[in-house]
Parts: sequence; structure tokens; C-alpha cells
Amino acid sequence: MTQPTEPDKGPVKSTPDEPWPVRVVSQKIGAWIAKLGWVWVDGQVAQISRRPGSGVVFLTLRDPSADLSLTVTAHRDVLDAGAPELAEGARVTLHAKPEFYPNRGTLSLRADEIRQVGLGELLARLEKLKRLLAAEGLFARERKRRLPFLPGKIGLITGKGSAAERDVLMNARRRWPAVEFRVLHALVQGPGAVPQIIDALKVLDHDDTVDVIVIARGGGSVEDLLPFSDEALCRAVFGARTPVVSAIGHETDTPLLDYVADLRASTPTDAAKRIVPDLADELRLMEHARARLDRAVLGMIDRERQRIEAWRSRPVLARPESLIDQRAAEVTALRDRAGRSFEHRVRRADDDLRHTVARLRALSPAATLQRGYAIVQRPDGHVVRAADEVAAGDLLRIRLADGELQAAVKES
Amino acid sequence: MSDEDLSYEQARTELATVVERLEQGGGSLEDSLALWERGEKLADVCQRWLEGARDRIEAARAARTDQ
Repeated sequence: MTQPTEPDKGPVKSTPDEPWPVRVVSQKIGAWIAKLGWVWVDGQVAQISRRPGSGVVFLTLRDPSADLSLTVTAHRDVLDAGAPELAEGARVTLHAKPEFYPNRGTLSLRADEIRQVGLGELLARLEKLKRLLAAEGLFARERKRRLPFLPGKIGLITGKGSAAERDVLMNARRRWPAVEFRVLHALVQGPGAVPQIIDALKVLDHDDTVDVIVIARGGGSVEDLLPFSDEALCRAVFGARTPVVSAIGHETDTPLLDYVADLRASTPTDAAKRIVPDLADELRLMEHARARLDRAVLGMIDRERQRIEAWRSRPVLARPESLIDQRAAEVTALRDRAGRSFEHRVRRADDDLRHTVARLRALSPAATLQRGYAIVQRPDGHVVRAADEVAAGDLLRIRLADGELQAAVKES
Repeated sequence: MSDEDLSYEQARTELATVVERLEQGGGSLEDSLALWERGEKLADVCQRWLEGARDRIEAARAARTDQ
């Protein structure tokens, strides 16, 4: 069975038995590639090579965020017209069509128009990106992670041997000599910077011993700092598990990285101050804490001691005699009262007695006896008032003023 | 619970009650004397607790300085 063949294209399907020759394959590739047609491309010029004598210029065009590039060919006039004095690192937008060169099997874009993207345009794009990321919530404060108070190890992404690297390392070590760093170097400007920084970020983010990552770079022109406003980098930083500190440029520079990072340090030196505590400060704080601790506890003990002292000095405890004195006083008082009332009573008794005696005496017959009368009593004591109260021979007791007589009745 | 097991707070609270009752007076002489003795003992217990605490702090601070 023979393959159905398209006109002058050879068998439609290649099979092990009927393989296509290279020319057919390369021709088909060319056809496929041409299908893309004209496109507008945004990229960064990594290399420009102008072949002397030939009207063609070769450019290497890089993607600002990814490690990808394409070769661009353009006629010198196209270049001179659209982007005079085009320099490496410039951002361009070009209108081109992909072309496949069968003899060497290479692919490149043929540009018929090249425009240099001015700084204004770049900054406008940056603002647009900023609004987009903000709307997506990448700058949201509550999504920011807190930095560890004392990081075990600090990841640092910066330019090799750069001032920024020295500032971060030196200042951090001065504050906390025991600090540990893992430094990954990357380009910090121009094409290729962003992919390298993103790669370094991924490595450090996956390193569980790294507790915080600092991306640091010294001052530079607006173009120099553009990579730090790159969308891919911002999204990578936002997605990192480890807290990220942005320390880019001078105080006034605020690339988008500043908004996405968990902490924005104004400069690499400031970053060093923000990521490690100052040992000397901490030791002083420790001393303060200890001193306050001592004062608090000793204060409490003193207060308690004074309280016990106060109780101890209360009379009831300090001078137990007071208890006894008190009772002694009570006893004495009672005794005195007893004495007085006794005396009182005796005196009153005495008075009574004298009274009674006086009355007795008033009633007593002594006075009458004195006047010569006598009291005659029967032995039973009965005072004889009438003769018939006695009979002859009765014994009588006759009491005289002075002494008494015993007598008997002769006759009554 | 023997007096030695008394916590500082327990001894202090009982001491307060003893002083109060003594100051109110009214108890028998025998009771008052017993209360007074109790008061003295409690005060000693409290004092010992406080001195113990102070010693522990001094020891800790001494240990701290020669770390």
C-alpha cells in the first residue's frame, strides 16, 4: 500500500520503511515555523554584532525574566531607523517573523521594525505591573511573614564582591558575631539578572537551615534596578516560604520587590541591623531583666519580713507580760473593789451595830435600874409583872443596876 | 500537720488570727498563754521561711556571677 502523497510533498506520513529525506523534513519544519507569522516581541538586547560590509545585523534578544533568548536578524537600515545607537542591555519591541535556515537548520527572527523602549515607557509598564500586583494582593500586609528574632542562618543573594555584600556581612557580624550566612552570588543588573536571582531564591528557600533571605544590591540607575521590579521575581519572592528582606539601592529607591518582600530595608546596612539583634543590647537587656527580677523578689521578701516584724512587735506578742499585767491589773482592781466593798460593808455593819446597840441601850432597863428599879424574872426568864404569875417558894432572879440577886417568894 | 510543714502563707494567716484573738482578749489566762506561745512559734516559722528564701536568692546570685 503506498502512502497518499500530497502534491510535491512526498508521502504524508513518514514510516520506518518510507522515511522522509532531510530536505523534506527541513522543508516541513520551515513550513510549520512560517505558520506563526508576524509577531511583536518584547525583549532585552544581550548582544549586537554588526558584520562589516554586510547590511545585516545580528542581535541576541533575551527574555528579561527567563533564561531564554532568540537570535534576531535585521537590515542595518531597520535598526538605524528604529533604534539608533542601540546598546546592549536596551529593552526593545520588534516586529518580526520567524525564519528557518534549512542549510544549517537554524532558526531566527527577521525583524522589519525595531523600537527602543524608552525609560518612560519602562516606568509606565512598571506602574501598571505595580497596580496589577497590588490588586492581586501580593503587597497585602497580612501576608507578610514575621522575621525570626534570631535567625540560625541567613541566606544572602547579592552581587559577587559587591559593596552590598560587604555591608550586610560586616554589619550583621558586628551586631551578632555568631551569625551564619549562606551567600549566593547573582547578577544584580542587566539581562540574565532576574533568572539568576530567582534560581538563588529557590535554592535558599528550600534550604531548611536558612531562616531569612536577604536580596541586597547597592545604589544604581533606574535601569540598573529594573530587574528588582520584574514580575517573575516579585511572584517568586511572594511565593517563598522563607521570609524575604529587600535591600535594594538607596533609601529613596523602592523597586516592586520592596512591596512584595516581607520586610523592606532601606539599604544593605539597614538590612543587617533589621535581621540580627545587637548582642550588646541584648546583654544589657538581660542585665536589666535580672536586676528587675532581683528587686522584685527581694522587695517582696522585705515587705513580708516587715509584716512579720510588725506583728511580732504588737504588744500581745512582744510583751506577753502585758497579758499578765492586764490580768494582774484586773485582779488588783477586783481586789481593791473587793476590799473597798468589804470595808464599806464592815463600816455599814459597824454603823448598824452601833445603831442597834444604841437602840438596845435605849430599850435596855439599865437606866431604870440605875434609878433603883429592879427586874424580877422567873427561872425561865419570864419577867414577872404580876404577883399571881408566881407562887410561894418560886425562885426569882432579881437584876439590879449592879449585879443580881437570887430570891424565893415567901408568899404571893 | 506539724508546724514545720506549714507553708509561709498558712503560718502567716494563722499568726494574724492569733494576734487578733489575743488583742480581743476575753480568753482564759491559760488560753491566752497558749495563744501567745502559738503566736511566737508561728512568727518563727515565718521568719525561717523568709530567711530561707533570701538564702536561696543569694546562692542563685552567687552562682550567677561566677558563671
